[in-house]
Amino acid sequence: MLNQLAFYLFASISILCGLGVVVASNPIYVVLWLLGALIAISGIFFSAGAELLGSLQLMIYVVAIAVFYILIITAVPWRKLHKNEQHNRLIGLSVLPFIVLLYAEAFLVVMSGVSVSKNKIIETITKNYGNAEVIGIKLFSNYFWAFELMSVLLLISMIGAILLGRKEEKTYD
Amino acid sequence: MIEMLLTPHVEQYFILAFILLGIGLFGMMVRKNLITILMSLELALNSVNIAFVGIDKVNHLIDGQIFALFTIALAASEAAVGLGIILSLFRLRKAENVNEIIDLKG
Repeated sequence: MLNQLAFYLFASISILCGLGVVVASNPIYVVLWLLGALIAISGIFFSAGAELLGSLQLMIYVVAIAVFYILIITAVPWRKLHKNEQHNRLIGLSVLPFIVLLYAEAFLVVMSGVSVSKNKIIETITKNYGNAEVIGIKLFSNYFWAFELMSVLLLISMIGAILLGRKEEKTYD
Repeated sequence: MIEMLLTPHVEQYFILAFILLGIGLFGMMVRKNLITILMSLELALNSVNIAFVGIDKVNHLIDGQIFALFTIALAASEAAVGLGIILSLFRLRKAENVNEIIDLKG
């Protein structure tokens, strides 16, 4: 029951901060709203019993990626950011009915009754070991190929980011 | 009704994930600045993670958390490459909004 109350608290915080991400005009404030949403989502992970994922969310998203965004924002000049309008209002007004339609469709799907089959094999293993151990066992046995592919993807993206981010002497205009 | 609200079920995670996905999608379309578009994309990716964890919680499985782990790694690499592209676009073209990028051949 306490888990449920924590879920509702973190869910309301994350929705509030998500609205802030869309609405706020200053990009620094947008980063701060995103930070709040990510911390609330990691709280949801902790309340759902996924401790490893919640701590990884805190370490990777909240620390690394948010700092990365702030670093990029400092590379962009401020005068231009304040001069320009941050929202494309016409596109926003024309897209809003479709977002509402998406919500209505999700509501209909939930109301029509979605159910998943119960399977309690993992639960007994989770009780004996911890969450992180079970994830490690699964990750290095069943999902080992995907894990290796993910490491290759990270290597490729690292090389690409280094190539893209290096200083160029010439500019094109 | 109160009893239903106080026991964990998979629909609450799905509803939260759908709401956050819609917010992120709307942000991706309504924003003009490239950096804030990427931030809305991060919000949408996180909503998928919530759905995975919710399925795990109710169904007593562990596979969804592994896929959420992969999603986090994917989001990290996507942020690195995307922000590198934005930085080089700004450095070469002095462009940071999506409507300023009008030609492809440099």
